[in-house]
Amino acid sequence: MKEFMHNTWKHRAHVVLALPAFLVLLFIMYVPMTGLVLAFKNFDSRLGIYGSPFCGLDNFKFLIASKATFLSITGNTLFYYVIFTAIGTFLNVALAVAIDQCIFKKSTKVMQTLMIIPVFISYAAVQFIVYAFISKDTGLINNMLGTSTSFYTNKKLWPAILTVVKIWKDTGYGSVLYMSVLAGIDTELYEAAEIDGANRWQKIWHITLPALIPMITVMLLLSVGNIMRSDTGLFYQVTRDSGVLYDTTQVIDSYVLHSIFKNSNFGFTAATSFFQSIIGLLLMLFANWTVKKIEPDNALF
Amino acid sequence: MAKENTAAVSSEKEITEEEQAPKKKIKKNADLLPSKKEKMTVGQIILLALLFLFTVFCFAPVILVFIAAFTDEIYITQHGFSFFPEKWSMDGMNAVFKYGKQLFTSYAVTIFVTVTGTLLGLLIMSMYAYSISRKGFRLSKFLSIYLLIPMLFNGGQLSGYIIFTSVYHLKDSLLLLILPLCVTTMNVIILRTYIANSIPQELMEAAKIDGAGEYRTFFSITLPLLKPALAAVGFMMATAYWNDWQNALLYIDTNSKKPLQLLLVNIQKSIQFLLNNNNVPASARAAMGGAIPQNSATMATVIVVIGPIMIAYPFFQKYFIKGLTVGSVKG
Repeated sequence: MKEFMHNTWKHRAHVVLALPAFLVLLFIMYVPMTGLVLAFKNFDSRLGIYGSPFCGLDNFKFLIASKATFLSITGNTLFYYVIFTAIGTFLNVALAVAIDQCIFKKSTKVMQTLMIIPVFISYAAVQFIVYAFISKDTGLINNMLGTSTSFYTNKKLWPAILTVVKIWKDTGYGSVLYMSVLAGIDTELYEAAEIDGANRWQKIWHITLPALIPMITVMLLLSVGNIMRSDTGLFYQVTRDSGVLYDTTQVIDSYVLHSIFKNSNFGFTAATSFFQSIIGLLLMLFANWTVKKIEPDNALF
Repeated sequence: MAKENTAAVSSEKEITEEEQAPKKKIKKNADLLPSKKEKMTVGQIILLALLFLFTVFCFAPVILVFIAAFTDEIYITQHGFSFFPEKWSMDGMNAVFKYGKQLFTSYAVTIFVTVTGTLLGLLIMSMYAYSISRKGFRLSKFLSIYLLIPMLFNGGQLSGYIIFTSVYHLKDSLLLLILPLCVTTMNVIILRTYIANSIPQELMEAAKIDGAGEYRTFFSITLPLLKPALAAVGFMMATAYWNDWQNALLYIDTNSKKPLQLLLVNIQKSIQFLLNNNNVPASARAAMGGAIPQNSATMATVIVVIGPIMIAYPFFQKYFIKGLTVGSVKG
């Protein structure tokens, strides 16, 4: 211990350098963790978060009592995770391979630049763009098809709409990581395959895709840790937080955001948040443990 | 398609090599078009066409924003949004500039938050990254774990909201736009990896032997060498700050502190208010007069909000691609 103190004193400059970020993390990330205690409290805004009385598991009873909402938002969260991850991974990989295979390098470079742009548009702006396409009276889609579908009141259409928006926004950006892996493939492998008479498809199948598998695995596993969290902007902004659509569009994060604004249901929300954080932690530990087994270099810790 | 592709196979590897070769500039003309050996097979054309279609899918909505912003408002209400409007107008843009003061204020707030946040974040994150990458510093192990935990576990939005507003009493403070995005685990890891792998340790040791203190070593040796990583992380941070609507919506009330994104959200809210209240008396509507957001004006606002990022992005593209790549490899 004495030696440790001595070492720390010797490196006091490093302690000083680390201090500002340490404090920001403490106040922004660590202190709010204590807020999870709210799940076991009967929140009273006059008494504050630490002064409010404990109420045991009442909030969780409440959660079970109104399980329809709880199941709906949890179900939606998981549903969109699965859809977005499956379609997203497939398209990211397909796009990376397609760009890598295309021989018109100058054109693909320009196209890639344009494809990445949507990721930099905030959802607050995206929702206006979506509106231009699907608004009932002035929307481009109704206009071109000559229909008058009322998208903003038809909840059945939303899983598809949100998926398309997500693909539009994230695919170009998502493929960049895979492209960097492809750039690292040893060209001798392709030459050898060629000598053996492999055609382009065989080379993609036996060289390109296997080279991508470690990265795909890692990205998938890491995303498991975030199953309970969603792209809040997509579900809150693009749907305009419209109550009619909640059945198919409300996820945990947008529910929590909504209830903060409406100042309602804090007990239920706190219990849900607690559940979300704990499941998130467990999944993250599980994901990291699995990555460590498969690809130790890519484990987070 | 497989058969056709075999023809192009032989020269494929050369293209890839050219891509990576440092002497790429000399060969600039060589990869502009397929070389003579390169066969423009049907497969390649189809591939290019598919990629082009996807590019259109990604970029057309952005173009629509620009077109709609300059479309005549009456044309939009009668015929809807269109890529080929028959009537153009500057009214949308003019309406945006009529917001005048608020737009100006919001721009100033967004720029202030983005610049301050990015610079502050880059500085304190690289200081942290430098200090946890020092060998022989026993506390660095604890600091690394301390850095990782927030990635695994966090209090969630609700606790954050209650702590920030009722414990820190920071509601309506710009600090809540700056601090929450300031230090992120992933960015510190990227910087640490870069320090560990791409900056020669000997340089820093040499500086120390020459009598430079720890602080001097960091500020005049490490920080300048960290530039490529700082550019990558900095651009991603700046985008996150620029696009952050959620913290603004949660915490900011005063008009003089509203960033651009909140302005967009407010516009949408007031449209919705009008839509949901058809029985708003005509006099009230008239009173709201200039504030009623119209389609073209809204799109013009969107342009004003996303414009700066569109312009900055091509300059940072190569850095942020590098940053993404570095971040995926643990140091």
